[in-house]
Amino acid sequence: MSTHLGEFEQLVLLALLRLGEEAYGVAVQKEIASETGRRVSFATVYTTLARLEVKGFVATRQGDPTPERGGRRKKYFEINALGKRTLKESLRAIRTMARGLDASWDTL
Amino acid sequence: MSGGDEGPPRLAMWLLERFLAGDVREAFIGDLEEVFRETMLAARGTRAARLWFWREVLSAPLTVRRDPALQTASGGDGMLMNLLADVRYALRLLARRPAFTALAAFTLALGIGATTAIFSAVKPILFEPLPYPHPGRVMMVWEMDQDGGKSNLGFPTYRDITKQSTSFETTAAIGGWSATITGRGEPESVNGQRVSYGFFRTFGVAPALGRDFVSADDATSAERVVILSDALWRRRFAGDASLVGKPISLAGVPYTLIGVMPKSFENVLGPQAQMWTTLRYEGEVAPACRTCRHLRMVARLRPGVDEASVNAELSLLGRNLDRAYPNDYAKGGLHVVALHDEVTSSVRPALLAVLGAVGLVLLIACANVMNLLLARGVQRQGEFAIRAALGASRVRVVRQLLTESVLLSLVGGVLGLGVAVAGVRALVWLSPAGLPRLTAIKVDAHVLLFALAVTSLVGILFGLLPALHATRSNLHHGINLASRRTTGSARFTRTTLVIGEVALALMLLIGSGLLIRSMQRVFAVASGFDAGHVVAVQIRTAGKTFNEDSAVWRFYDQVVQSVRAVPGVQSAAVTTQLPLSGDFDQQGVRSESHPRANPAEDPSAFRYAVSPGYLETMGIRLRRGRLLNQQDGIGKPFVIVISESFARRVWPGEDPIGQRVQFGSDTWYTIVGVVADVKQTSLSAPESDAFYVPADQWSYASNAMTLVVRTNGDPALLSGALRKAIWSVDKDQPIVRVATMDELRVVSEAQRRFALILFECFAGIAALLAAAGIYGVLAGSVAERVREIGVRSALGASRSDILSMIVREGLGMTLIGVVIGIIGAMVSSRVLAGLLFGVSGLDAVTYGSVTVLLGVIALIACAIPAWRAARVDPAVTLRAD
Repeated sequence: MSTHLGEFEQLVLLALLRLGEEAYGVAVQKEIASETGRRVSFATVYTTLARLEVKGFVATRQGDPTPERGGRRKKYFEINALGKRTLKESLRAIRTMARGLDASWDTL
Repeated sequence: MSGGDEGPPRLAMWLLERFLAGDVREAFIGDLEEVFRETMLAARGTRAARLWFWREVLSAPLTVRRDPALQTASGGDGMLMNLLADVRYALRLLARRPAFTALAAFTLALGIGATTAIFSAVKPILFEPLPYPHPGRVMMVWEMDQDGGKSNLGFPTYRDITKQSTSFETTAAIGGWSATITGRGEPESVNGQRVSYGFFRTFGVAPALGRDFVSADDATSAERVVILSDALWRRRFAGDASLVGKPISLAGVPYTLIGVMPKSFENVLGPQAQMWTTLRYEGEVAPACRTCRHLRMVARLRPGVDEASVNAELSLLGRNLDRAYPNDYAKGGLHVVALHDEVTSSVRPALLAVLGAVGLVLLIACANVMNLLLARGVQRQGEFAIRAALGASRVRVVRQLLTESVLLSLVGGVLGLGVAVAGVRALVWLSPAGLPRLTAIKVDAHVLLFALAVTSLVGILFGLLPALHATRSNLHHGINLASRRTTGSARFTRTTLVIGEVALALMLLIGSGLLIRSMQRVFAVASGFDAGHVVAVQIRTAGKTFNEDSAVWRFYDQVVQSVRAVPGVQSAAVTTQLPLSGDFDQQGVRSESHPRANPAEDPSAFRYAVSPGYLETMGIRLRRGRLLNQQDGIGKPFVIVISESFARRVWPGEDPIGQRVQFGSDTWYTIVGVVADVKQTSLSAPESDAFYVPADQWSYASNAMTLVVRTNGDPALLSGALRKAIWSVDKDQPIVRVATMDELRVVSEAQRRFALILFECFAGIAALLAAAGIYGVLAGSVAERVREIGVRSALGASRSDILSMIVREGLGMTLIGVVIGIIGAMVSSRVLAGLLFGVSGLDAVTYGSVTVLLGVIALIACAIPAWRAARVDPAVTLRAD
């Protein structure tokens, strides 16, 4: 399984880290929207989460049903050790590549 | 968008439940619903929230699909995803070829729209039960005359049937009525019906306001009561419910308003009737006689009684009546007909013919689109081959093509619905006056479903053939795009389709040709009067001043005098009955020299009670004797003038002048003249037996007379001056209808004209589509054969050789189509038989001229491709390879 992370995958994993125990679809979408201004559809969020699950970066658990959800249960997502490690690697790579460019940024 | 008031759209939810992968379904839907309820509804309102929901849902399967992991996790989503992908792809393709798409969609829209419009119009009339509870049990009861014609009944007959028959739950007799509403604003003449008290119960409809008639209202001595239609009550009485129970004034006589019918009440036996009162015939002695046949009878069968058993019972009853009153019945018996058949039987032939015609149009439209798609399928063989090479299965390619055609037909269906809405409006506007249930005609949900069903069916039909063609040939072979030649079988199919179109178009053209010829024949029929420059104005008298017959006659006399003084008026007169106006007043005539043993079998003739000068004004020719004049009147010998056909019928080979006749009373009238036959009911109806009597020599005055005026110039220009002249005599008398006799001639043939106009439209569309088909096939053929043509001309073929080669191909198709079409028209012309007049369904002139017309159209369609072929430059085409 690839260890490469796409940009949106990074955002989702970061959101999971920030949300901790409370990370489910709605919360992830809201977190990304409020911090980055990016409004994405639930389909996008779920596709990404599912891919991350298949890649072995996140674990899931079922929540309790609530009436405002039409009696449906939530699905909580949590980043696991492998996920944290991969995310860190990925972000480090970006930081490394970007180092020293800040000064010339505006002239590009 | 569907859904409950508060929740997310139901259809969207259903889609999710049905197609989303199992492991994310619950959480995903739960999240959507949570946001929908918590945030969206509150912040943006229901509409915006739903819109948001739909956007989320529609993006779901497509996005989710791209993830291989999720795709394998679910079994249910593959279909929807492929479908959506197909739809997107098809939309892109259709948008990329706007000319093709527009042509195909427009063709379909015409076919589907016309079909839907006609079906909308025909459905409530022919295929829907009447709008009453248990409508199948409502029947009409007729007395039959000797020739099997239906006849109205006298009141005693109605009462005997009601009392003696055990088959009916309720019965009602119906008579004509019209009265002038006075006392509130301008006098207004309103049509109504005089009915027995069971009238509304027989239909199973009760007044919405107030009460129904009861038996006491129907007694001879009862107070006068009236029930109004919803429309009249709202229009004339401002929908004032407090008026119920109060008197209103009709022709100066007070009637108590006892009820108002619901808006939904549809009166198929008198669509014009706006108010109802009781007959008031119920009493010890019936005031009406057995031979006064002025009532229609409607009845509701008891549950479980069928038409056959009630007819058996009534024929027995009829025989008993014959025995008891041998001089009152013509021994034709009694007959029961379902109300629905009664109402629709006269218009059925025209409507079925039109329905058949529009079916042909739809077929042609489908064939044309099929042709277009077939041609495209051929052009796209390279594309299919590439897709197959990339791993698409044959099923997959066929499905893609099907998606395209269904999509195309849906677009056509939506456009067609627009055409249908406009078409229905046009139909109602065009419809003949006799068309029943006009108010029920509209594009409704059922018709919409019908249109959609037709659309998808058409889509699948015309999608399948090209799809099969496109994939039958070896796909891999097609990558080799060097030659674009149509495969043999595709060409055969296309040619066959065009031949079919030509045949169908010819059938329609022949149908309208036959109708046009009938119309010419009908209008060539001598009406018996000179219609040019004659205008007719119906005037009703109302009010207390006219209670005396002499006052009525004086009034009409003054009107005639006053109108004669109007500049531009040549002559003027009044009559009780006007030809071709829908008036129908027949009277039994008893001849002194040839009396029938049974008075009920005496011949009847149209009665015209007229003022002197009527025959001259109408231009009705004198054949023998003299016309009526100023000397014939009150206190003078009673005289009549009769029509030629009536003279022949009663006094064959004799001179009728000087013969005497009676009309149900003891008075003898002497025949003083014979005049030409006049068409009364319609130009195409054969019966013309008639007599003309001086109005003041008749036993009673009529409260509705028609003023006929012959003018020097255009009669329509004088109508204002005529009104003024009439009102100068008495401003309270309502003028009911004003029409020139020329207009009446046209209106009297409205049903035939209705069918004719529709046939002309359909035939025009059909010919256009067939021409487009011929053009399409030839143009394709020329494009494919450019090389061959180039070789031919390089080898010495002249331009005219090439030209005639292409034209021959086109005309060959046309010829085969024409032969098939002629056979089809001969077989199907029987459908039109009821609408034809003076023309055989196999009329050679029509067949010949229409074939020539279609030939010319086909030739024009051949011209452009042929010209293009003739301009092929051999050097250019040969170098291209």
